[in-house]
Amino acid sequence: MKKTMTISVLAASVALGLGVSGAAFAAKVPAGTPLAAKQEIVRNNGSEAESLDPAIAESVGANNLVRDLFEGLTATDNEGKVVPGVAESWKQKDPTTWVFTLRKNAKWSDGSTVTADDFVYGIRRFLDPKTASTYATTYGAFLLNGVEAAEGKKPVADVGVKALDKFTLEIKTPYPVAFLPEVVSNGQLGPVPKAAVDKFGKDWVKPGNMVSNGAFVLKEWQVNSKVVLAKNPQYWDNKNVQLTRVTYLPIEDGFADVKMFLSGENDWVYQLPPGTYEKYKAELPKDIRNAPMLGLRYYGLNHKDPVMKDVRVRKALSMVIDRDILATKITADGQVPAYSAIVRGTSGADVTSYDWAKWPMAQRVAEAKKLLAAAGVKPGSKIKFSYNTSEYHKKMAIFAASEWKSKLGLNTELENMEFKVLLKKRHDGDYQIGRNGWVADYNDASTFLTLVQCGSEQNDNFNCNPKAEALIKQGNLAQNPAQRKQLLTQATKMIMDDYPMIPLLQYTVPRLVKSYVGGYTTRNPMDRYRSKDLYIIKH
Amino acid sequence: MWSYALRRVLMTIPTLLLVITVCYLMLHATPGGPFDTERKVSAAVMANLQAKYHLDLPLWQQYLLYLKSLLQGDLGASFRYADWSVNELVGNALPVSLAIGGGSLLISVFIGVALGIVAALRQNSLIDYFVMLVGNLGSAFPSFVIGPVLILLFAIWLSVLPAGGWNDFDPRYMVLPIALLTFINVSTIGRVMRGSLIEVLNSNFIRTARAKGLPLRTIVFRHALKPALMPVVSVLGPLAISSITSAVVTESVFSLPGLGKLIINGASNRDYTLVLGLVVLVTVFAVILNLLVDLAYAYLDPKIRY
Repeated sequence: MKKTMTISVLAASVALGLGVSGAAFAAKVPAGTPLAAKQEIVRNNGSEAESLDPAIAESVGANNLVRDLFEGLTATDNEGKVVPGVAESWKQKDPTTWVFTLRKNAKWSDGSTVTADDFVYGIRRFLDPKTASTYATTYGAFLLNGVEAAEGKKPVADVGVKALDKFTLEIKTPYPVAFLPEVVSNGQLGPVPKAAVDKFGKDWVKPGNMVSNGAFVLKEWQVNSKVVLAKNPQYWDNKNVQLTRVTYLPIEDGFADVKMFLSGENDWVYQLPPGTYEKYKAELPKDIRNAPMLGLRYYGLNHKDPVMKDVRVRKALSMVIDRDILATKITADGQVPAYSAIVRGTSGADVTSYDWAKWPMAQRVAEAKKLLAAAGVKPGSKIKFSYNTSEYHKKMAIFAASEWKSKLGLNTELENMEFKVLLKKRHDGDYQIGRNGWVADYNDASTFLTLVQCGSEQNDNFNCNPKAEALIKQGNLAQNPAQRKQLLTQATKMIMDDYPMIPLLQYTVPRLVKSYVGGYTTRNPMDRYRSKDLYIIKH
Repeated sequence: MWSYALRRVLMTIPTLLLVITVCYLMLHATPGGPFDTERKVSAAVMANLQAKYHLDLPLWQQYLLYLKSLLQGDLGASFRYADWSVNELVGNALPVSLAIGGGSLLISVFIGVALGIVAALRQNSLIDYFVMLVGNLGSAFPSFVIGPVLILLFAIWLSVLPAGGWNDFDPRYMVLPIALLTFINVSTIGRVMRGSLIEVLNSNFIRTARAKGLPLRTIVFRHALKPALMPVVSVLGPLAISSITSAVVTESVFSLPGLGKLIINGASNRDYTLVLGLVVLVTVFAVILNLLVDLAYAYLDPKIRY
């Protein structure tokens, strides 16, 4: 109860642009919860981290580790709420200037103090073209001159990040970014220990060399075997850290993952293998956890293709796919039907929908047939669907093909290929209909809008609605969050009415987590659980 | 014989160069590059990445740079695992693969040869049928079926061994993977040994030995074993390479950090340097093992001279 209150106070103060009190926000163990003597956890992380360098980490797994090892200005708690990190408070001085006040007791694991200069160094290093971080333009876009620096057009010293004094950091944005406190929770925009980087070069992230400022320190790293973290005694909030040891496994094979869970060597299955959710829900009701996350499964429609460039065809294809059957019978893992590029739980815009989503299927089919006839696509015509080889995608593709066949009489050629080949084809526009998906990098509508915006890197549909684009621009310049939300929602609706893609399902994370793992809320739309917020209940 | 061995070793240089060149070109011809991901990076970031890994140079220059660093014993930086060099990655995975692959091969040779001898001597008896049954089962059931069954039995039901993972050569983590590979290898070695020994036992010189009244033990161990081992030695070369490199399924089933996993991940990530490094390693292995097999022939068969 108390926690909810502090968070709503926090949210309100962020919205009002006021300072935030310096209280500790670690997930407290609810009163009366008996804790186990041994506070150790084994979490499967789904794959081997490509890097533990916060500037280079790209995958979900690598960023999970970075969040335990390092702490940025802010952090997100186990309910996805923004909480203070190294910064104890912050305020928006003017629409494009933020001032973060750092706590004086934040320490690196070698005992030295975390200062504003460490952030300036970390952010400049992240954007430096020589670092070549794949996130450079994604997060750089929120910093004044960030993209220019990443592209090598301006020196990194011109980036809008400045240490006003040892414990005060100023960040300037190119336009009002209301969700900046959330963006700076990402490790890419966090502090980096310059002394360690200078001394060890790229080996500074190896055990024994790494100096970090998070709740945990790196103990051991065996590639493709495990990464072991230990509680960081220098961490400013270490009295609220329960776990003493965290072992991350890199198991990719879902069945091997589950077996290690069943034999007790793993407390956390990364993701259940397709088609097993119902089985484990029945067998292990206490351990099964499933929660929606900010991710969208969709099929991209290539607007460069002569058939797909007709909006009537695109609309007809989207209308006849029964998302409810897809969600409940085909994937059957708790995913939610989607009719918009924006998924539920996203801040900054409302989820849009289509009128026909509520129509009976017969009416939808009749309308779709009319549209196809008007577009000159006769029953028996051939369309081509490309996807990357995977049982899951195959199942969905067969369903979509059968919907198009049985309802519209279209013959779908299913073409499966290796993932990288599909990526190349999609990026090159060498496909007709293609499997696609997106997981939010931060909780704001803009991350999903990149999928359908004019000229966006992420837009494999090659659609463009200039009017909607103008609204998005206007929204991003708006100083009032409510006004921005309204404009972005309107733009989303406009774009979706062009049918650039077929939204299908909102991702969920079906997994097994031992019932004695406390702090796992299933109310965390970004699925970002810091080990700091977890604890082991007596069992 | 030594000059033969030296000639063979020198012959590997053109072989290696050819393998590297073909592999290099094939890798670069495969669609999709190391930095293509679901979240496409901007053109400028892609240029940064390519410059960092010298992918912006013409292909022939990259190729020469690679050969140059290879001559210095440097397999390059991994494109995917940014914190590690290929030397480090291979150096970490090789001991795991050698322990599992080599260990299982050693055990398989002893068990396989012994079972093959017993089956050949008691041809068409119950023991023979049993050995052949084991042999056929080992060949018929793929490791992705046997592996999970072993885990279910020993790790989940009996809880005596871990279901997977690796812990610094802790024998507990090695038992099941070695058992699985041994089961598969024994089936091959046992069947080959049985067939070849039966053939040798039917040959004229064995009949002469029998006629002289030599005891069976002397006949088998002094006269028949050596020639009968020839086909077994022939299969050992390829078997050794495959137990180390294509133990992909075993590694995946037991979550082992070996070479097979690196090869698969390297190929799907388009980690050019990692794949090439592993190809070089496997080629060198293959050449050495084939040489050893050839030298073993000379020992087993006095008619063979180099």
